[in-house]
Amino acid sequence: MKGLAQSIPKKILGWVTAGQDAVYDRKTIYDYMDGGAEVYLAFDFRNVFVRKYKGPSRGEIALDIYDMGSPEEAFGIFSCDRQDPEAGIGQESEYGSGLLRFRQGRFFVSITASGDEQRAEKAILELGKAVAPLLGPPGSLPDLLKCLPETGLKKDRISYFHAVINLNNRFFVASENILGLGRETDCVFAEYAASPAETGDLLLIRYQNEDRTRVAYESFLKIYLPEAGPGGAALTEKRKWTMARIHGNYLAVVFEAPSKEYTEVLHSAIKFPQK
Amino acid sequence: MKSLMTRRDFIRGTSLAVLGTAIGFAQNPQSQVNKSRVILIRHPEALDENSEFNGPVIQQMLDEAVMKLLDQGDPAAAFRLLVKPDDIVGIKSNVWSYLPTPPEVENAIKRRLLDAGVKEENIGIDDHNVRTNPIFVKSTALINTRPLRTHYLAGMSGCIKNYIMFGESQPDYHPDNCADLGSLFNLPQVKGKTRLNILCALTPQFHGRGPHHFSRRYVWNYKGLIVGQDPVAVDTIGLRLIMAKRRQEFGPGQELPPVPKHIQLADTKYGIGASDLNRIDLIKLGWSEGVMI
Repeated sequence: MKGLAQSIPKKILGWVTAGQDAVYDRKTIYDYMDGGAEVYLAFDFRNVFVRKYKGPSRGEIALDIYDMGSPEEAFGIFSCDRQDPEAGIGQESEYGSGLLRFRQGRFFVSITASGDEQRAEKAILELGKAVAPLLGPPGSLPDLLKCLPETGLKKDRISYFHAVINLNNRFFVASENILGLGRETDCVFAEYAASPAETGDLLLIRYQNEDRTRVAYESFLKIYLPEAGPGGAALTEKRKWTMARIHGNYLAVVFEAPSKEYTEVLHSAIKFPQK
Repeated sequence: MKSLMTRRDFIRGTSLAVLGTAIGFAQNPQSQVNKSRVILIRHPEALDENSEFNGPVIQQMLDEAVMKLLDQGDPAAAFRLLVKPDDIVGIKSNVWSYLPTPPEVENAIKRRLLDAGVKEENIGIDDHNVRTNPIFVKSTALINTRPLRTHYLAGMSGCIKNYIMFGESQPDYHPDNCADLGSLFNLPQVKGKTRLNILCALTPQFHGRGPHHFSRRYVWNYKGLIVGQDPVAVDTIGLRLIMAKRRQEFGPGQELPPVPKHIQLADTKYGIGASDLNRIDLIKLGWSEGVMI
């Protein structure tokens, strides 16, 4: 991070560095974040470099560069909180209302403004463009994404994570960890267009072994879908269908699909790896 | 008691009343006598045309709320029921840079403490240093105030979570979605001292983005204060406001992920207040447009 810090501009469009740069690791991240630390600690987060900039009038820009340990983990933290239009910075990015987020290689970057977001917008985007080339070559996506069916997939609505805190902030399922998620599980949540007017969601979880998969499957059916028949499907609220099935050490749950047939279509299109 | 809630429970709740029951905030109806009184007061001019806080109006809102809370006709008389002239009073504020407790609220509280006879040198305002600030170390009374907002881990940050700085280690209170925050009110430095809770709903935050869980687009000018002596009841009302706003903006099933279980547990496990809507006497004062609850 030290070499990287020296390369990052200290002045950009009239905004200049303020105070000392800081680096927080897995133990000290709590000193920097109020409540957000666990979201990062649920990934292979290593450390974050922080630099603040003061503007020509009031307001502040915070540059955070997170070393997530691998490109897959950087994709994960980026993907769990994506809502805004692409900004064309790094491998993938988004910008909206004073918040720029992008990923490049094993790094995830957040640049935020507090105060006058509109006034800070140009500086935020310029800073992002200056930082992205310093972060090394692009990295690969998590292999679990290869399992996703392609038809109807909303490619900017895919999230990759491990732990229940990330699932529940993305798509609330239950107040307890009924799917047995943790650092050792890999999960992908994806939104689908079942038709122009209808949607469905797919949660695919890879467990360490088949025993854990079976335990999670039974827990989910018992707590979330007790009325499910032998096929693991049930008609739920607002006439939507939910269905859970296991395949080796994978558990697939289709949430809130428009028809039972669509749950079957989506599940049968999952590209589970050949043993 | 663990009350497991699923997404389906939220979606089943087609009204806020049903949602309240669904998340365990309705238990046993009790008589009016035992209810925790909570005042929700709003004023259209609490923020001016530039969204700056209006100090005189906020003072007026606080005065009206505390007078109604304690059935008094004068704000100083109401505050004299909360504190004695020889009390040492810590105002537990919140300095989170994106959405701090407005100084106008802190000043309004301090002014009425002075009017009630508390000496200026015996009044302190602090957040991060409450464990070492001499006023807080020697305090005989606490006033608890902070803004209302959502939180990645706890679901909601309100008056209960505001006391996390009294804990020796903040991360110790993070497991299980901050389930045990209610225990903070039983710490020796805190127990039995909290005289008033003021949850600032002037500009509440109903959703979070990014590393610091903040984006101004999810803050709205509600222009309210939620005031009570029971921190659990105050937070329960704050939670319902956040849920109502999220339901309006995001739809069913998105009311509040994750569930802020610490509010209910502050009641059922730690006994520091009422999370049951049937045990809360909510009185709404002032501006009613867009009140939502």
